[in-house]
Amino acid sequence: MELLEFARGPAMNVAMTVFIFGVVWRLVALLALPYRGIKSRPREGVTPEREIFSGFRGVVRRMWPYPAFVKAALFSTLNGYVFHIGLAIIVFGFGPHILFFKNLFGISWANLPNNLVYAVGVLTLGSLVAALVHRLVDPPKRLISTFNDYFSWFVTFAPVVTGLLASAHLGARYETLLAVHILSIALFLIWFPFGKLMHSFLFAFSRGVTGIRMKHRGAQI
Amino acid sequence: MSDDAPLGDMLAKRGVSRRAFLKYAAYTASIMALPATSTNVIAQALATAKRQSVIWLSFQECTGCTESLTRSFSPTLEDLIFDFISLDYHHTLQAVSGDAAENARHAAMVENKGKYIVVVDGSVPIKDDGVYSTIAGMTNLDMLNETVKDAFAVVSVGTCAAFGGIPHAKPNPTGAVAISEIIKDKPLINISGCPPIPEAITGTLSYILSFGKIPELDHLGRPKAFFGETIHDRCYRRPFYERGMFAKSFDDEGARNGWCLYELGCKGPVAYNACATLKWNGGTSFPIQSGHGCLGCSEPDFWDMGGFYKPLSTSLDGLGKTAAIAAAAGAVIGTGSALLARRHQENYLKDLADKDEEI
Amino acid sequence: MTQPIASGCASVGHTGLTRPVLREIASLLKKLAKTGECDAIDLRSLPMSNEDRYELETALGRGEVHANVMVAGDSEVWETFYPGVWWVRHFGANHEIASETILITDVPDILKSDAEDIKRAAVRLDADLIEKEQGTEKTSDRENAHE
Repeated sequence: MELLEFARGPAMNVAMTVFIFGVVWRLVALLALPYRGIKSRPREGVTPEREIFSGFRGVVRRMWPYPAFVKAALFSTLNGYVFHIGLAIIVFGFGPHILFFKNLFGISWANLPNNLVYAVGVLTLGSLVAALVHRLVDPPKRLISTFNDYFSWFVTFAPVVTGLLASAHLGARYETLLAVHILSIALFLIWFPFGKLMHSFLFAFSRGVTGIRMKHRGAQI
Repeated sequence: MSDDAPLGDMLAKRGVSRRAFLKYAAYTASIMALPATSTNVIAQALATAKRQSVIWLSFQECTGCTESLTRSFSPTLEDLIFDFISLDYHHTLQAVSGDAAENARHAAMVENKGKYIVVVDGSVPIKDDGVYSTIAGMTNLDMLNETVKDAFAVVSVGTCAAFGGIPHAKPNPTGAVAISEIIKDKPLINISGCPPIPEAITGTLSYILSFGKIPELDHLGRPKAFFGETIHDRCYRRPFYERGMFAKSFDDEGARNGWCLYELGCKGPVAYNACATLKWNGGTSFPIQSGHGCLGCSEPDFWDMGGFYKPLSTSLDGLGKTAAIAAAAGAVIGTGSALLARRHQENYLKDLADKDEEI
Repeated sequence: MTQPIASGCASVGHTGLTRPVLREIASLLKKLAKTGECDAIDLRSLPMSNEDRYELETALGRGEVHANVMVAGDSEVWETFYPGVWWVRHFGANHEIASETILITDVPDILKSDAEDIKRAAVRLDADLIEKEQGTEKTSDRENAHE
């Protein structure tokens, strides 16, 4: 009981505090940077409105690779969708998780059947393992991967594994499994603002800026 | 005072045949999940056993544990335990009081040296030398140490005695502790629960009487026969949990259809007790069957688990002032670092401009 | 006759547990017939619902022997329709079923008179007889005295 109490209490408190502090810090530090604008002349017919629209278009267009890159990026893209959508279904569709959010924010929604979530969980687990294997086996990816990449993978993988073990009551007493699962979420939240996981906020800005820049030069993203 | 005659002779003198032992043995074997074929062995052991001397010490408790044990009106099967044990001291139940009561306790300790069982309900305060609970001018701590010295075994009945219970809950002003934190050198059994199921108490005592030894205990010192599984493992509403069918509020449609009470704070998955199988009041019902989530009352610190209506998957505290402070701090640091970046940029551009001029 | 509600059982409909229990009883009865080895099934240890238990009771039926044992509350013992298969039902507080066992045996131990009890009874009967005889002598003395 002590470990579970610690996990649900002080551990989650620290984790959520660090998460909020870190995310706000990084976003403010980024968005408060001076806007220098693009000094070059825009291509003929390109207005600021068109540039901004292209920014939004960039966010959407990059959801699928350019035709020339589809073959090379197909596995990463599809596998990426499998575990991203899988994680969303688990995190936002599982009853006990909805209760977690309800406790924090006061809002809740209908939950999915448990067995469906378990099935998605297993699929997500396989997909995450496949992603790691791909990263280790593909030469360019392997070359450029750093601790940041692997640790970000680990803190995402651990909650899925520990969550499945807890649901199956497998490996230890239930209260221990649940405590470990909650602690893995705490670790995820603490690491989040400082590693590659920040892409969940930053991807929109990166793609947006690229869209604006490309349009400025007259290229369609 | 306890007789030296075997229980069989004692009951026979009152006109009760050995059949009573067979019946009681069948009952005990059943609730302790012993094989049905061991009935004869247990009956025989009970009939030849001597009446067990029990000294019951009540400390920081609500008397609920004693109430749980004594809930029969007419002589029945379950009452036989009071024939098998000799309750030599119980300051709430016994007729004598004052010095006579304490003398009874001392006399029982001397007469049954090394053979009596000490049953304790309630926690013991140790702060300020234990002054917060005294009986007959003696602190609970002293009385416990004095009584346990020549005991055969100690049984902590109820969550207060087993783990500290209610007095131990935050902020624990009296420094209440579990009996196991004080007594380290005697065989000790924890029968937790707030209160424990009566059969858990009587079954354990019967086991000790029949077999002369302590039953198998879990890592918290509780008999595995009663505390080996969680409520969740035996709950009849488990299929609803598995399918994600939860009652959202008391008396809503889900609740009336008997759906899982996880969302209403049920601690069944982490509570080890026999409520789902033995149930209460002779098998009538248990909290979940009556529509309320399990409180986890047989677990340590169940009062500090965040709230009886807070589901297990939630964090104990919500987002509060800390979150706002964290966001504010993040904004400050973020702004600070952005300002630094701006200044760095201005200086850099200024240097560039100066260099251009020079050229 | 209203069926007794067993302590610990819920009325949640049939779970399908009756058939396997019957099969186990059948195999234990075969063993008894062959080797004389007795056995028992504690019904409380099985997650049977009330409906399952009625089904089992109906399936096994009643035989030639029915006994009420009145000690520490009531108990009912009966031989089922299958000699060698006995049903023992112990009642506790409020006439709720405290324990229930199927015994595969020639006769349940609880129906037998215990050896110790018999010894005591022998002593008791002797004493009671003497008391009766002494009592009759006194009465006849009185009667003679009156005459």
